[in-house]
Amino acid sequence: MSENIERRRFLKGMGAASLILGPMGCTSVEDDSKNANKPHYVMVFDQNKCVGCGECKEACNVANNLPDGKSKLLMEHQSGGVEGLACPHCGKEKCNCERKFVRVSCQQCKNAPCVSVCPTGAAHKDPETGIVTMDASKCAGCKYCIGACPYNARFINEETDVADNCDFCLNTKLAKGELPACVQQCKYDALIFGDANDPTSYVNKLLAVKDSVRMKPQFGTEPSLRYIPVVKLGV
Amino acid sequence: MDGSMEFTMGLSEGVAWPWPIAVYLFLAGISGGSLVVALAIRFFKGQTANTPLYKAASLISFVTIALGMLCLVLDLTNPLFFWRILVFYNFTSVMSVGVIALCVYIPLTAVLCLYAFEDEIKSIPALSILLPIINMLKPVRKPCEVTALILAAAVCAYTGFLISALIRFPLINTAVLPALFIASGVSAGAAASKMLSVFLFKEDMHSSELKILHGAEWPIMIAEILFICMIAMSLATGNAGAQSAFEAFTSGVWANLFWIGVVGVGFLGPILLNFATGKTFSHSAKAFYLSGVCAISGMMCLRLFILYAGQTYAI
Repeated sequence: MSENIERRRFLKGMGAASLILGPMGCTSVEDDSKNANKPHYVMVFDQNKCVGCGECKEACNVANNLPDGKSKLLMEHQSGGVEGLACPHCGKEKCNCERKFVRVSCQQCKNAPCVSVCPTGAAHKDPETGIVTMDASKCAGCKYCIGACPYNARFINEETDVADNCDFCLNTKLAKGELPACVQQCKYDALIFGDANDPTSYVNKLLAVKDSVRMKPQFGTEPSLRYIPVVKLGV
Repeated sequence: MDGSMEFTMGLSEGVAWPWPIAVYLFLAGISGGSLVVALAIRFFKGQTANTPLYKAASLISFVTIALGMLCLVLDLTNPLFFWRILVFYNFTSVMSVGVIALCVYIPLTAVLCLYAFEDEIKSIPALSILLPIINMLKPVRKPCEVTALILAAAVCAYTGFLISALIRFPLINTAVLPALFIASGVSAGAAASKMLSVFLFKEDMHSSELKILHGAEWPIMIAEILFICMIAMSLATGNAGAQSAFEAFTSGVWANLFWIGVVGVGFLGPILLNFATGKTFSHSAKAFYLSGVCAISGMMCLRLFILYAGQTYAI
């Protein structure tokens, strides 16, 4: 008997709870639609256009006042050859005939491992823009974010003793309404920056017509840095 | 278009977490492991007195975790920033959850030391200020010990969860790692508290408590070996990234550390000392201390191996 009453009370409670929680569940749908209007800043690196001049890196260092020898971005020069073997293009063992460059920097992940592991919340997503950035006043320098980043794209800034990453110049250029320093500096239009959620933005139109790839997609981090690779098969 | 572009450089050189973190993982493992062993025996046997094993374990757990914290703080890029971890929290971070556990665990190990050394404290006049504290804490001894037992196991597991969150490293990012760290922490903690209880607190080497520990050591060691085999097999039969990380076991300086330090000293050492020698030697004090030292050094080698070899073989 008492069990029945318990069950009835339980069901009543469930009914009441569903009345309260149901509408609350609906509000999360509303939140999602709000998110759609939030910007999603992406950067596109076009390997076909990059000549490896390195001026993007210099501009970044100046804009972000980085200490000597430290950078928020690197350029990797890929020759396409395997060391010790003849180049498949020219037949020489040492050559520079295939020059490809890849931008190495924070991939601005949607599911950023650095943000989820950071014990203090110093590595966080800027609530306005969704850009992964650092609150230097909270960072304890534990280097958990550096180990957790699948791209090895984070580093310790020796001047501040805290971790740092490329944040699309969030606090320097973007704050002034400008494009990131590297994008401004690039003479070859190899870097394109903008809001992928804005249907009228150039970056949105570009991504609609161009094939682009993301680095190490198997980690499921959903990077916002996209690459347009050189697709050149054969000789 | 997967794999059509890749970069191999990184912005940070070398390993993010160097040897002080391995030492910290080692010390935290011993701290948790020794408490787990001593408190489990205490509850199992319904003891109320301060046994030599209890004294040894509480002393070890407090000292090792304190030294471990020192390693942790000194490894920060700026040790003066350590307070930020205590002030700011992020509940999606394993480290942050661990800090909360440690904030309760460390004072508890100190409280357990007060319980364990009540008589000694009474006999030293300089420490008499502690007596009112001990009397105040006496009524809550049982809940304190139960909490300490749970947290001790949690701290052992936490050291595993802490590093297994690093997704870039196939050797480290395994689900078995926390279990392996509990097993190796318990075996090294047991060895450490056994040795200290005999050496400092004059426990009989063949007392009933130490007999239980002697007996429990072998199943724990088998579990450890099993966990290591699980990790090795999952890497050897896994995807390309996992297979490249399997090289950690077969080549390079860290493979030597694994085969000589972990397998040779840590596993074969105690086995040979106890089963391959004559009965008089294997029951002697020499064999007792030697196999204890073997178990502890093997565990240190294991943590060093996991941390360094793990961070060397990134995807």
